[in-house]
Amino acid sequence: MATTILVVDDSAMARKMLVRALPAQWDVELRQASNGVEALAAYRQGDIDVMFLDLTMPEMDGFEVLETLRAEGLNCLVVVVSADIQPEAQERVKRLGAIAFVKKPVAPETLAPVLREYGVVL
Amino acid sequence: MLSEDQRDALQELINIGMGRAGASAAAVLGEFVQLSVPRILILRPGLIPAALERILGSEPLTAVRQGFHGDLRGEAVVVYGAAHCRELADLMGYEDLLEPGAERELLLDVSNVLVGACLGGLAEQIRAEVGFSAPSLMAVDEAAASLIDVRDVDLPCALFVEVNFRLEVRSFACHLILLLVEEQILVLRNAVDRFLEAL
Repeated sequence: MATTILVVDDSAMARKMLVRALPAQWDVELRQASNGVEALAAYRQGDIDVMFLDLTMPEMDGFEVLETLRAEGLNCLVVVVSADIQPEAQERVKRLGAIAFVKKPVAPETLAPVLREYGVVL
Repeated sequence: MLSEDQRDALQELINIGMGRAGASAAAVLGEFVQLSVPRILILRPGLIPAALERILGSEPLTAVRQGFHGDLRGEAVVVYGAAHCRELADLMGYEDLLEPGAERELLLDVSNVLVGACLGGLAEQIRAEVGFSAPSLMAVDEAAASLIDVRDVDLPCALFVEVNFRLEVRSFACHLILLLVEEQILVLRNAVDRFLEAL
């Protein structure tokens, strides 16, 4: 069964780069959201397994999305993918429940090890 | 002049540069820096004063300019509110009021870090070689609308890129504005196209 992945970024190019960085052999169903509000709407449908989440977005940023997810009982794996590479940003997202922080631009070899560490082998 | 895809790509490339600049600023200031989505506008130079006033408000401002050259040429302007200059000195551990010369040095140093990291990040993405001139103080306690003398910009339009850095626990904030004239906007647009084609 395909793993459902939600890619959240306000930039269409950044979403495309992230999708390109997913290993071709992974069996995934892809969904996309361009801001935090859309991301939460997609998450609340209940079938998202993994969320790749940008931090700096209009409408609702990635920190707010993580806070909301945590308040609602986090029920998917969240990997933050961001250009905000401050150590404090990385610590904050981990405290809010993200399993990992991947810096932009995403190098293709970075995604599989992150998920494998949490038992996700696609 | 920029398609929706080109604008989106440029915004994301600048976002990556901004992220690096934020991390550099956080390291220098010892505080978490809140970043916002960069805004990109193509404006006739005559509209720049109004845009600055809309973004920066009516408080007196101090600004540092730094030219960049090489594969991409233009000018970066880092703008601080007067109160934010004093906050900056406090953040950097200066307990007393700084001598004007020392405060000027501090503004130049911080601006240099922000501009270097932001443009360096952008240039690296589009594989451009960019060098920097020394930063210089261009305005002290001036109104936003008179910060940039539009008579200096004699081409029909300019790329106006606005990046904001704000500290969570202090009132300090500053804005980084990149100004590129039309010919350089086309250079940047071509570089963005090459980047998109390589995806």
